[in-house]
Amino acid sequence: MAQVNALPRQHRPDPLRALGVVALNGMFDEMDALGVLRHAVEEILPGDVAIVSSFGADSAVLLHMVSKVKKDLPVYFLETGKHFPETLDYVETLKTRLGLTNVIAIQPDPADLKRFDPNGDLWETDPDSCCHIRKTEPLEPITEEYGGWVTGRKRYQTVERGVLPHFELTSDDRIKVNPLAHFSDADVVAYRQEHNLPEHPLYQSGYKSIGCAPCTSVVAEGEDPRAGRWRGLNKKECGIHFDFNGAIAKPMVAVEKHRLFKDGAFIADPFHDWGEGDDAATAHYTHVPLPVFLEHRETFLANPHPLGLLVSPGERIEDVKDDLQRFASVAIKFPAFTDGRGYSTARLLSERYRFAGEIRAVGDVLADQIPLMRRCGVTALVVTHEPTRQALAEGKLAEVAIFYQPVGLTEVPVGTRPYLRRAG
Amino acid sequence: MYRYDEFDAAFVRERTAQFSDQVRRRVSGELSEDQFRPLRLMNGLYLQLHAYMLRIAVPYGTLSSRQLRMLAHIARTYDRGYGHFTTRQNIQFNWPKLKDVPDILADLASVEMHAIQTSGNCIRNITTDQFAGAAADEIIDPRPVAEILRQWSSLHPEFSYLPRKFKIAMSGSPNDRAAIRFHDIGLQAVANPSGEIGWEVWVGGGLGRTPIVGKMINGFVPNEHLLAYLESILRVYNRYGRRDNKFKARIKILVHEEGLETIKGQVEAEFAEMRGGVLTLPQEELDRIAAYFTPPPFEELPATRIDVKREKILDTAYGEWLENNITSHRMPGYASVTISLKPVGKPPGDASAEQMEAVADLAERYSFDELRVTHEQNLVLPHVRIADLRTIYNALVAEELADGNAGLITDMICCPGLDFCALANARSIPIAQSISERFASMTRQKEIGDLKIKISGCINACGHHHVGHIGILGVEKKGGELYQITLGGDATENAAVGKIMGPGFEAEAVPDAIERLVDAYIGLRQNPAEPFIAAVRRLGEAPFKEALYGASERAA
Ligand code: HEM
Ligand code: SF4
Ligand code: SF4
Repeated sequence: MAQVNALPRQHRPDPLRALGVVALNGMFDEMDALGVLRHAVEEILPGDVAIVSSFGADSAVLLHMVSKVKKDLPVYFLETGKHFPETLDYVETLKTRLGLTNVIAIQPDPADLKRFDPNGDLWETDPDSCCHIRKTEPLEPITEEYGGWVTGRKRYQTVERGVLPHFELTSDDRIKVNPLAHFSDADVVAYRQEHNLPEHPLYQSGYKSIGCAPCTSVVAEGEDPRAGRWRGLNKKECGIHFDFNGAIAKPMVAVEKHRLFKDGAFIADPFHDWGEGDDAATAHYTHVPLPVFLEHRETFLANPHPLGLLVSPGERIEDVKDDLQRFASVAIKFPAFTDGRGYSTARLLSERYRFAGEIRAVGDVLADQIPLMRRCGVTALVVTHEPTRQALAEGKLAEVAIFYQPVGLTEVPVGTRPYLRRAG
Repeated sequence: MYRYDEFDAAFVRERTAQFSDQVRRRVSGELSEDQFRPLRLMNGLYLQLHAYMLRIAVPYGTLSSRQLRMLAHIARTYDRGYGHFTTRQNIQFNWPKLKDVPDILADLASVEMHAIQTSGNCIRNITTDQFAGAAADEIIDPRPVAEILRQWSSLHPEFSYLPRKFKIAMSGSPNDRAAIRFHDIGLQAVANPSGEIGWEVWVGGGLGRTPIVGKMINGFVPNEHLLAYLESILRVYNRYGRRDNKFKARIKILVHEEGLETIKGQVEAEFAEMRGGVLTLPQEELDRIAAYFTPPPFEELPATRIDVKREKILDTAYGEWLENNITSHRMPGYASVTISLKPVGKPPGDASAEQMEAVADLAERYSFDELRVTHEQNLVLPHVRIADLRTIYNALVAEELADGNAGLITDMICCPGLDFCALANARSIPIAQSISERFASMTRQKEIGDLKIKISGCINACGHHHVGHIGILGVEKKGGELYQITLGGDATENAAVGKIMGPGFEAEAVPDAIERLVDAYIGLRQNPAEPFIAAVRRLGEAPFKEALYGASERAA
């Protein structure tokens, strides 16, 4: 029997271990979920493996297997604070029923909640960041404690998951164990019936994939079961679910740091880009490109959700001057930092049209242009350039803080702009 | 002369600190060359063929002796002992090291100088008449307004990333010595019927690969509204100027492609919004700045005639210098002296550290501490007593700066060319040298009279060849260097772009070709008082073409 030794925590992927994991995948019958789980828990990662369960619609199957192998295997439950009450009940039901003795609820940091989601509506404006503070952050210290994880992922679940193996190696050298990899929906149902496992209380109501309450909706017949999650938010997958080759071991939200710099800090961005399939009637928290807005102006004006506007060089802000109040944010695109057209747009917006909402610079936003942008009225910046991010975070932009020209709306004290001094 | 106040000094200090930080980040690799390029350009730092080149702003061409001494110090300490005065009244150093640049900038700041916006796609140094404040023919002294424009354009947040560079020139005299019709914006002082002085605004002129004479966009803009009007033009240009093709990005192309009327409509619409707003220039502020330019304490002197004829008999060289290098002054008993940086056989516009120091001494002693740089790459002592001319001349002779060739055929404008410039197709300094050697005889130069030869090493036209009475353009043909000759260009109020005469000449053949043109002119002029350019206008190009290429060529 191929043997992979207990995991030294090394950072450089070891090709031999990778080979071992590949070999492991040949050892088990496709449907021998229990065999896979037992081998992982007892042989490969004794005392060094845990499971995170959503206690969702079909979590019961895997948890039942866990109870067969090791009742005190650590089972983490992300108590995001956004679950259906039915889910919380279900946690208790399964715990009792299966005799699980080590179910651990992990909760978001209250300080994070207070800072980033004081009103509890971050899920609506910025689900990535909501997941980040409610799932990724709380889980991060725990993922590091174990050499491997058991997941309930199944091949059939989404198109992207068609080749899921039993064992995977992540890029940080952890082993991912997927006992149910080859299970189909019918297999899950059959197993549940065979072992008389309780159903999630919402399953019958049409919820096939259950996460946090705000982000879960009913899935139509024949629809991808996960389609009900983040419906309309253009968010399909989360990095935490580690991919098959182990390429992505980190939740995407952790990789994608906050890019929006506003009022002195990098913060979660409620807005996202306008995408191909977006609909003028239902779009929300999206920067609508100016030509798209003009084309569907009536529909956008009837849309009740918060919206932003994206102005690219060559587009005339004059063309929407009467509709500006409709936007919470105007994003000015700087496709290259050498393209200075955005400065004129920013000044027109702030000085001529007295636009009071957020004016943000997007695109090639670099340290040396930021002072100019700000003087022209830009109040927020979307920044990816690492040295610039650092300079902003540390408050160390090299800039000339005194000016000659009267630009912008704030009154500059007499004496700072020589030719503007006025008698009396 | 303008003196920095606390604000100006702090501004330059901060800017120097900012750029030093940028240099540090470049040296440490934090900034890529791509990211550094526009930053260094906005601080006058170019990467040339052999090394970095630092271009230092001489605002509207005005220097004090202290400043010129500092330039000499920089030439000696950080460069190879000389500097090069440019056609935009600036000075550039061809051999600074990147790591020294922050120190150079700090030295400059100590004498109220900087390199801000001497390159890059922003508003460049404002240029004007080198005789401003001295010329007898002046309507107003343009320097106070030039200083205000300098301030307005310094780190303008909206106009720091224009489609292309932007040059503004102004003339306070009807005799345009600043080539305003060949600038992105040219400002010509005019009086309106009620006697108020304002500005005629010309837009879209330029040289380079598409030479265009500027067009008048507004016949009278009063001082009060000048900034709002210029900001309107700049905004239209920033928004609508072409950015897809670097060679079509100047405002001249925008004006040319859209038509003056369209652009004028857009500018006037902007101006209607801005007029009377924060950019309105209060008279008090204009007066405050103008006070810096109050005339120096001239003595009451009797009007003095210079007897050139007599002086020539006594000392030919001195007499010729008087005849060519002295310009009349608005004060009796005073004159302006042009110090030629075109000694025969030397690169035009170059001055050594020692020469700069000598000239600084002369300015301090004889010209109220004032100096000018001309767009024809000479230096000027604007206010000297006629009684001191001989002493000054003697001092200049000692420094080899006494060439009496101002305005003559050997007083050429010439770009750095292939010897220094990465863009060049051909050398230009050696061409200038061979021409000045050919016409070295002062008698011959006098016989020819006013004749401006201008030489560029490539189509970018830094040497203004398009507006040379005779223009010479270096082109690359099959690996060799050829020189095209243009005729009839004029940078003054009679603005014209020279016409290309025909196929180019090999470098060795250029002096002969120029001589044939000159001989043709001397043979055809109505009398010795008819200058070369007037004869060209009267006769057209045909006889000159024939002189260049021979009759058969013309027939072909
Ligand atoms: C942006 C962040 C996240 C997104 C978009 C996301 C998405 C989802 C979705 C769609 C499901 C439903 C799967 C199903 O019920 O079939 C799910 C379940 C689950 N998620 Fe996440 N998730 C995120 C963050 C996390 C994090 C940080 C963890 C912790 C490692 C995690 C662990 C789980 C687990 C264990 C399940 C349950 C799988 C099962 O049913 O056994 N998720 N997640
Ligand atoms: S699933 Fe929805 S509510 Fe739950 S953490 Fe993510 S965004 Fe927030
Ligand atoms: S004209 Fe051409 S060769 Fe001469 S300095 Fe300009 S770019 Fe260089």
